[in-house]
Amino acid sequence: MATTACFIIVSRNDIPIYETDAGSATKREDASQMHQFILHAALDIVQDLAWTTSAMYLKAIDRFNDMVVSVYVTAGHTRFMLLHDSRNDDGIKSFFQEVHELYIKILLNPLYLPGSRITSSHFDTKVRALARKYL
Amino acid sequence: MANYLAQFQTIKNSCDHIVIAVEDVSDLWPNIKSGFEERVPIKRASLNNKTRNPVLVENFPCEFILTTDSRLRSRFPQEQSLFWFREPYATIVLVTCEDLDEFKTILKPRLKLIVQNDEKEWFIVFVSRAHPSNDNAVKMAKKVYAKLEVDFSTKRRERCCKYDIHGPEANFWDDLESKIMECVRNTLDRRVQFYEDEIRKLTEQRFMPVWNFCNFFILKESLAFMFEMAHLYEDALREYDELELCYLETVNMPGKQREFGGVDHGDDWAALLNHENKPLTQIVQDDSFREFEFRQYLFAYQSKLLFKLNRPFEVASRGHSFIIGFSKALTLHENMLPFCMREVWVITACLALINATASPNYDGLVATDIEKEFYRLKGDLYSLCRVKFMRLAYLIGYGADIEKSPVNSALLSMLTWPKPPVWPSVPLDASPEVLEKEKVILQATPKIKHFGIQRKPLPLEPSVLLREANRRRASLSAGNVFEVFDGRPALIDGSASDASSRTPLSKKMNVISMSRTNSSPGTFDGSVDRPMRLAEIYVAAEHALKHTISDADLWKALSSVEEFEQKYLELTKGAADNYHHSWWKRHGVVLDGEIAAVCFRHGNFDLAAKSYEKVCALYAGEGWQELLADVLPNLAECQKMLNDQAGYLASCVRLLSLDKGLFSTKERQAFQAEVLRLARSEMKDPVPLDVSSLITFSGNPGPPLELCDGDPGILSVTVWSGFPDDITLDSLSLTLTATFNADEGAKALRSSTATILKPGRNTITLALPPQRPGSYVLGVLTGQIGQLRFRSHSFSKGGPADSDDFMSYEKPTRPILKVFKPRPLVDLAAAISSALLINETQWVGVIVRPIDYSLKGASSAEMTNSNGTQKDCSLASIKEFQQLKLDNGRIEFPAWASDTDSVIWIPVRAISDRLPRGSSSVTPQKQSNLDGMRTIALKLEFGVSHNQIFERTVAVHFTDPFHVSTRVADKCNDGTLLLQVILHSQVKATLTIYDAWLELQDGFIHTGQGTGRPTSSFFPLMISPTSRAGIMFSIRLGKVIDKDEVEALQAESILNIRYGIYGERTNGAHPPVAMDGIETEDARQDLLFKSAIVLQRPVLDPCLAVGFLPLPSTGLRVGQLITMQWRVERLKGPEDNGISEHNGEVLYEVSANSENWMLAGRKRGHATLSTIQGSRIVISVLCVPLVAGYVRPPQLGLPNVEESNISCNPPGPHLVCVMPPALSSSFCIPP
Repeated sequence: MATTACFIIVSRNDIPIYETDAGSATKREDASQMHQFILHAALDIVQDLAWTTSAMYLKAIDRFNDMVVSVYVTAGHTRFMLLHDSRNDDGIKSFFQEVHELYIKILLNPLYLPGSRITSSHFDTKVRALARKYL
Repeated sequence: MANYLAQFQTIKNSCDHIVIAVEDVSDLWPNIKSGFEERVPIKRASLNNKTRNPVLVENFPCEFILTTDSRLRSRFPQEQSLFWFREPYATIVLVTCEDLDEFKTILKPRLKLIVQNDEKEWFIVFVSRAHPSNDNAVKMAKKVYAKLEVDFSTKRRERCCKYDIHGPEANFWDDLESKIMECVRNTLDRRVQFYEDEIRKLTEQRFMPVWNFCNFFILKESLAFMFEMAHLYEDALREYDELELCYLETVNMPGKQREFGGVDHGDDWAALLNHENKPLTQIVQDDSFREFEFRQYLFAYQSKLLFKLNRPFEVASRGHSFIIGFSKALTLHENMLPFCMREVWVITACLALINATASPNYDGLVATDIEKEFYRLKGDLYSLCRVKFMRLAYLIGYGADIEKSPVNSALLSMLTWPKPPVWPSVPLDASPEVLEKEKVILQATPKIKHFGIQRKPLPLEPSVLLREANRRRASLSAGNVFEVFDGRPALIDGSASDASSRTPLSKKMNVISMSRTNSSPGTFDGSVDRPMRLAEIYVAAEHALKHTISDADLWKALSSVEEFEQKYLELTKGAADNYHHSWWKRHGVVLDGEIAAVCFRHGNFDLAAKSYEKVCALYAGEGWQELLADVLPNLAECQKMLNDQAGYLASCVRLLSLDKGLFSTKERQAFQAEVLRLARSEMKDPVPLDVSSLITFSGNPGPPLELCDGDPGILSVTVWSGFPDDITLDSLSLTLTATFNADEGAKALRSSTATILKPGRNTITLALPPQRPGSYVLGVLTGQIGQLRFRSHSFSKGGPADSDDFMSYEKPTRPILKVFKPRPLVDLAAAISSALLINETQWVGVIVRPIDYSLKGASSAEMTNSNGTQKDCSLASIKEFQQLKLDNGRIEFPAWASDTDSVIWIPVRAISDRLPRGSSSVTPQKQSNLDGMRTIALKLEFGVSHNQIFERTVAVHFTDPFHVSTRVADKCNDGTLLLQVILHSQVKATLTIYDAWLELQDGFIHTGQGTGRPTSSFFPLMISPTSRAGIMFSIRLGKVIDKDEVEALQAESILNIRYGIYGERTNGAHPPVAMDGIETEDARQDLLFKSAIVLQRPVLDPCLAVGFLPLPSTGLRVGQLITMQWRVERLKGPEDNGISEHNGEVLYEVSANSENWMLAGRKRGHATLSTIQGSRIVISVLCVPLVAGYVRPPQLGLPNVEESNISCNPPGPHLVCVMPPALSSSFCIPP
């Protein structure tokens, strides 16, 4: 399991709608803000890369010293962004794919308004479990 | 072969173009040299590249050199093969000859000798010196040239051309150029082939121990150089690329430990664009080159070629990855390099690349995406340079001036410290500097965030510098670190150094600073054994860097805080601008924020606010609240400094509307306090503010409030307050917007009393004045807090307060109020089935029927009567009955009747003063319903606040119980008249007549001694509804009394009928109201009915006769004068005449309708008529008819004579015919 892994779902309007810290390392107090900053800056790169490929998984798109940003873009241009320090590429891909399925289930909920914050605790639990499994 | 390296470099530097040898056989060159050299460089040339594909080269440079020139002669054959690239690529043989024999005998053998060398590419230029006027000479020259061609040209290749010295042919120069290029092309192909073969041979031996990279390099670079000379830059670049690949392969071969290089003075200054930095001979290392220098050398050549190819974009892109890669290599060898060599090199390399690619304007040269990428790369370069620069600055103690923003923290805190073998120690004589630094550290005041926000500053160092530096000092083991901190473990966590350097005012730090100040300068001896303090580390790093850095500019930028900031700003601006150009707005804006921080520190709040606003707009727009929470307080502070009250308030509101978790309650309360302080005290003028994110509102769940037109109501609205504490709003108003009527402006509901909003959900009620019909939604909430006018547009979803996501989309607006169109809310109608009795008190029923509307509350009815009186009334419905009191014409409606249909019974008496008149058989009854019509005006005030008014006028028909008509049934011989009185019942009820008597008028008397009553046994007489009954009276003419008494006596007879009425209201009968209401049902109530009857004495003998004399037979015409004539004749003598006459004169009067007739004679006058019976006169009047048609003629009347004494002929009104006027010529008649 990765020591650091910050996972964020960004809606098509660039708004973070879900955020979790899936790392095993004890969280530094200021880390979340810094992670947010790194992921936010990486949106610039995603915006360029997303249209160059038909694949949803964009792999590692940005590197920040020893931290890597991996991104998965869904068909609706919702971006799953993972900041991590592990190199388990296959695991990350599987993680993204399974999270995508979970996200689709959230979308199917008629009471969920696309683009609003995901508050489902079930979703949160599942994502954390997936992070433990794959990262 | 490596020995040739130096020579190779010299050759390379001395020749940079292709050489064409000129074999001047006939000493012609000086004459024609200028003509030839004018053609250089050759405009267009076609060459083959390495893959033998034709390439077009423009402006191909070359130089003509005579074979006798020393440059070509003094070469050893050995050199020739090695440096073959510099040998001539073509040989031009210049000849002239004017004699065939001479050609055959001398020139031809000589030429054969020259061209026999196969390796040369040659061709012959025959120069004709013959003047065109000299035919002989020209002919001769032609002959010789023809011979020359036969001898030297082959079918496959033309090797001759002719140059006329007196005006060359037009196509000569083209021919010459193509011949030159053909030769060059062939030579080039052959040489490329040669080099390739050689290189291949060497490549095959690559893994053998004897292999020498230098040899390979010379061959490879020779080839590359040859391509470069031929302007085949692409191929040259490829050669260098291959060379780099090969080098990287061999240099990293295990087993061979080589020197890296980079230890010389000046090596820190990156030479990646300067290929002449160091001669290659200096960097030779065994059989290869030192990596540090050689990789830069290769990159320099590559970039030089790329610039020649006009591809600066690629230079930037390759350069960026080269710097990254090379930086890694530097890291590997860091322990051999000077302190911070890597950082310095990266900075200089980035700056060099930026400068090299900056100058030209590439706009529009390339595709947009390439340009974007180019700017992005430059942004990256700037950014990289900036990071390393900040790292150096931090090491020498400028850390306090670096903003601890997320971007700097992210960049620096994950970047490892430099790893020198031994951390530099303090020089011996540096104690003043150390003191200086200490002073700076002590004086540095911690930056206090606005609003008292307490945040741990973000780290700028990957690990504590103090520990890292001391650990890397050779003598100090890691275990000694605790001594550094005097055994205070609290200081060893990540922020310890920050705390120690920035919060010296805290107690704990005082101890340390005390100890520092107490230490004598003598202890700064740079002793290796003692752990260094922070200031010492700074000074040591500064000295070491001074030693490392050879770039004066860079060192200047690090020499003082001001210089550092200037450079820092320059780099940050560069990065931001380039990121903006590349559309990487997030990167760009974040760096704008860094610029803002510097501006802020220098008090340039205006610029700072502008940049901070950009940053905040980005984060707010994309909803990254944690990042926003970091920047927004800074913006707020700028605005406060600039006295931008509106902006400051807006920022406070935005801070309050951020996620609650981002700030502590205390901080949030501070924000609110700021807002209130400004609103209540500081501001002079009202300031508008949008608080949509903070105060939201919505209608109550459930169906909208429904109101009838004109009704006021009370609207209840839910308001969510995001303030952490209660907040008092001085006033509050809410607009309602009609959904279907856009033109109508929103209406505001005001609540002027102060409203206190609790944090979270509040319900406020607003009085709603009557609205126009339609459906309304909530519009804008506005209000005032002190001088602050706020407004909010947003609806809250009515759920939990974390509604920030909710803001991003539009909620379908739900109507909160519906006002129905005006409709009848109540109906009033008379509950009367048939006519009521006049002059009697009658119950009039008014049906009150509410239509889906409650009459509840203070409903009241008011009524006025057109002609009648009213008393108390009673209210009845199907179920209940209640007596009500009429008060001043009004009654109060009881509550129970508010929803059901009910009937109000009101006693009403219609009064008619006129005595009903009977009719006779001679003058039949004229029925007129209007006589008995009365109206009752009803006014119903109802509704919640008596706002609804319903008015209706109810018509009620009153009638007499009977209508009386008389007829003289018989006229007996004895003068008795039988008078039949017929009673027509007018009501729908059974009437019982108890008594009837007749009071006769003057001139009539009852027969016998009766009282005028019929036989008493005749009564009671029952009359069914609307039927008739008759009563006979026997009367006779009586004596006419004197004229004086006539006036006193009645002129009419009066019929009196005493009767009763029976029936129920339900059947249409309307018995009079019992006045006191205690009368029993069977108590007989006798009513009296009086009716006047006119009895006329019969007219027996008239005394005057009036006759209308016939009109002339021609008839009457409009406008024609005519004489109307009447004859008056006396029928009786004067004795029997009651007519008052004066001297036998009668008064006459002619009356006519003035519209029809114009009278010309006397209309009124006295005519003399003899009193003798049978006397007669004719009265005539001139008149003119005015209208055509049947009109009534003028009438003659005798006003002094009673009508009964006049017999008229014709007896009644009659008509005469008047013709239209005769045609007049003055009229215009159409033909």
